[in-house]
Amino acid sequence: MTPRFLRALLPLAVALTASASFALDEGDRAPDFQARSVVGDAEVVLHEMRGKVVLVDFWASWCAPCNAAMPQLEKLSKEFPSDQFVVLGVNVDKKLADARRALEKRPVTYPNASDPTGMLPKRFGLQTMPTSYLIDQDGVVRLVHRGFRNGDIDELREQVQKLLDKKKGRP
Amino acid sequence: MKPLHVALLLGLSALASACQHVDPWERNLLARPDMAWETDEIAATQEQHTYFSKEAAMPGGGVGGGGCGCN
Repeated sequence: MTPRFLRALLPLAVALTASASFALDEGDRAPDFQARSVVGDAEVVLHEMRGKVVLVDFWASWCAPCNAAMPQLEKLSKEFPSDQFVVLGVNVDKKLADARRALEKRPVTYPNASDPTGMLPKRFGLQTMPTSYLIDQDGVVRLVHRGFRNGDIDELREQVQKLLDKKKGRP
Repeated sequence: MKPLHVALLLGLSALASACQHVDPWERNLLARPDMAWETDEIAATQEQHTYFSKEAAMPGGGVGGGGCGCN
């Protein structure tokens, strides 16, 4: 192939790969957001949780592993003091009623934001469902956890503990 | 054919594709049970068993994941 031919193909290659390139990664600053709560009319604001370790969990009512993760995330959220660690669910169902029904089946006490437009998954560069982002006290993503399998909660617990210990200056 | 024409042709072919990218958070319809390749798992397993017994080969049935994008 001639260099000229390759040059002609370059814009095409860029156009085909551009949409799949962005994904929030460890070390990146988490994008701030404000969204309506799934339950009630309150607003869920990420930056109000600054100073705590936050686990942002993207979920949907139709996603089986998300549903499997939620009771375990609920348990995890209660294992640490609420002024140090919080789980924040982000529901991506198109219909709020679906999200509410899912929460009635599997009630959780942690806050859940509703994003029927898919704006937040785009901003986070979500690549799979479910995905959890562990954000440290300064708003930096420290762990991107894709999918959910049995035993994954142990890894999350360990990472949360590590971030809390780091802040307290423990080794 | 000039290289630019070839590139243009390839570009147009890509645009004419019927494949549509579905983002992971938009797979609600794909995750429905009636969207599965096989809705009856037991019947599908029986059929696969018959197939590999007769053909001495495993069929490539099924897909990676149930549409939730987690696999």
